[in-house]
Amino acid sequence: MERISPHQFMILGAAVLMGTTFLPVAWVVTEASGRDGWMSVLPGFAVAIPYGLMVLSFLKRYPQKNLLQISETMFGKWIGKMIGILYISITGYFGGLLLAQIGDIYQASIMPLTPLGVFYLGVLLLVLYLVSSGIEVMARFTELIFPLITIFLVLNLVLSIPRMEQGELLPILSEGFTPLFKGGLKLAPFAMEYMLFLAVLLPFLPTGKQEFIQLKTGLWRAVFLVGFLNMLVVLMQIMVFGPHETIRLAYGLLLLGKMVEVSRTVAGVESLFLGIWLGANVIKVSAFFFMTTWGLETVFNLRGLKWRLALGAVFLGIAFGFTRESYLLQEIALVDDYLILPFASVWILTLWGVSRWKKGAGA
Amino acid sequence: MNNNSSNKMKTTLLVILIACLVLLTGCWGKREVEELAPLLGVGFDLGEKPGTFLITPQIASPKKGDSSGAETEDRTFSIQASSAREATEKISKISNRTPFMGSLRVIIIGEDLAKAGGFNDLLDFAQRFGEFRRTMYVVLAKGTAQDILNLELRSGTIPVLAIKNSIESGDEISSFPTVRLGHYLTIMGTEITAPIFPVIEGVTSGKGIEYKAEEDKAGEIWVKGAGVLRGDRLDDLLTDEETKGYMWLENYVVNRFINTVENDESVIFGGRVIKSNTKYKVKEKNGKMELQYNIKASISVDEVLGLEKELPGSEWAELMNEAEKSFAEAIRKECESSLKKQRELGLDFLGIGRHIEQKNSAYWKTIKDQWEEELQDFPISLEIKVINLHAGTSNSSAVNSKEGRQE
Repeated sequence: MERISPHQFMILGAAVLMGTTFLPVAWVVTEASGRDGWMSVLPGFAVAIPYGLMVLSFLKRYPQKNLLQISETMFGKWIGKMIGILYISITGYFGGLLLAQIGDIYQASIMPLTPLGVFYLGVLLLVLYLVSSGIEVMARFTELIFPLITIFLVLNLVLSIPRMEQGELLPILSEGFTPLFKGGLKLAPFAMEYMLFLAVLLPFLPTGKQEFIQLKTGLWRAVFLVGFLNMLVVLMQIMVFGPHETIRLAYGLLLLGKMVEVSRTVAGVESLFLGIWLGANVIKVSAFFFMTTWGLETVFNLRGLKWRLALGAVFLGIAFGFTRESYLLQEIALVDDYLILPFASVWILTLWGVSRWKKGAGA
Repeated sequence: MNNNSSNKMKTTLLVILIACLVLLTGCWGKREVEELAPLLGVGFDLGEKPGTFLITPQIASPKKGDSSGAETEDRTFSIQASSAREATEKISKISNRTPFMGSLRVIIIGEDLAKAGGFNDLLDFAQRFGEFRRTMYVVLAKGTAQDILNLELRSGTIPVLAIKNSIESGDEISSFPTVRLGHYLTIMGTEITAPIFPVIEGVTSGKGIEYKAEEDKAGEIWVKGAGVLRGDRLDDLLTDEETKGYMWLENYVVNRFINTVENDESVIFGGRVIKSNTKYKVKEKNGKMELQYNIKASISVDEVLGLEKELPGSEWAELMNEAEKSFAEAIRKECESSLKKQRELGLDFLGIGRHIEQKNSAYWKTIKDQWEEELQDFPISLEIKVINLHAGTSNSSAVNSKEGRQE
């Protein structure tokens, strides 16, 4: 089985964790925590660290297995299969929704007349190519694209500095710490999406002692990088739009891009930003496609191009089922909050707990 | 067998890549630039029938220039419509091109519409439709927006570009606020602060400006004062002095020309604000909370009027100290007139509620529900410090000898 290096693990992890979280993160967290929402971002993403370490801890004992296979070993065949079916359903459905979101973002912002199918099909073909080529190609693609995403994100934020309003961050902590907790909880599903990816990435990771330490460091770095970048995104949106507008705007970062003006001559650079962010979308959808593919292979032994094409058709079907923005955003939030968060947090924690208990009992 | 499967895979991937090339080029739904009508500005006035608006778009019509390159002409007309989209349809029909909103720079709201209220319904399109930019300026017109946009300017500039240029060079004189659509929406979101827009006015010969030749009706546009809104309804207009006070208190002064004519002093100073900074703090005084503004300004003295005699070094230094006090007094008058207006209107256009919330949120929570009443007599103090950086290239002024003066 092909394996990726610890460096690729870090970049791929950061890219999947980041995905397009920089688009909704500001309104999600500001709605929950108000003006202080930016403070919830890092703790919210940091949830990925303990959970990531739990997942990585299986690497030593089960070097060739993903979490679905480990679940079958731990809980027995039928419970393992049920978890697998749930995993496939959630990742497949959510992947389709993310595909739909790509069409929504582009149609609502810069390409209103382009048919949605063009976005869906174009991105899906790229996703099929990446996933079919294997995890290493996906990792290399990410190594190329993720730095660009980061640079353009930072550039967008820096160029938005002239648009900052006076005193929008003040007062700080006027409502105490409770809203911060709510905000962090709202972001926890983002971390759990990454955990679902890590669950099937496990067999592709190196197992050497030195590399294991590097994997753990990579996990920390990826989480802090993404958490920090998203925190900057939220900070800037609150400082430019104020908390009320930040909540109201569906894709505030796109509007920041639209407001960029350099010396009153260079404007309209948002298309450039959106072009780069397409890469982020592709990585995220590819990750969910990858998860579902491996879920199908593990649980039902369905492998090969024809099943991938079938899965592609399912993704397309889901995307075409959510062409209305209001329903789509609501559905993504529902799946995040009520499926991904409880499923991943309970599954991984239970698996880790049972594993520790069995290990203890065995000893 | 393995070779066959590998070839199949390669062929499939090749097909996928070719399909990507076709689908990801981004040319779907493209519009040629010649088919577009770039909107530069738009004016909103009250329509003839209730619920309708008189919408005046100013569209750029680029033409080939001679030696200096391309020039821009305008095409301006007015239509009656009940919504922005209805207006778009009519503009498309008249101009035979699709209006392109991404180039829109200024939205002008006519006085009657502003007084009647309800223009937020029209602005909703501007903040929602993806082509618009929140960096566009929003201004109020003295009179109708239609008149402003149809004004023939002596400079030959398109009215909307003249307004844009005035606003963009506003920091040079800092005598009116710059309000972009995004800023207006943010202020509305505070739910405490009353929005404010700069007011533009068309000026023709004999009405605020004099031209030797009177035969044509060409005029100028200037930005003078501001309008304060209650919701999206114009409540009152601020005078030039009140607007300048607003600029000081909101820390919007970058550079300013200032004089002490209104101070009733024998020597009058004129100068330029080089640097300015306004801070505020909420503090307890005599058992009551008060908001204190601290304004610091660095000014260069550019003219001295009414000097009777040339002054020796020490006296000149003393006079320049007096100049600092005189400028501080002039600034105080502007600020106080603005504060007085705020109390009269009962509208917090200076954002005092937000300032209190920013500095002392616990105290703000106790007064926010009755803020409108509190605003009437909430204690506010001003600390103004002016530093006279220099007096230009000379010390004392050149003055005729007393004998030579005409009494």
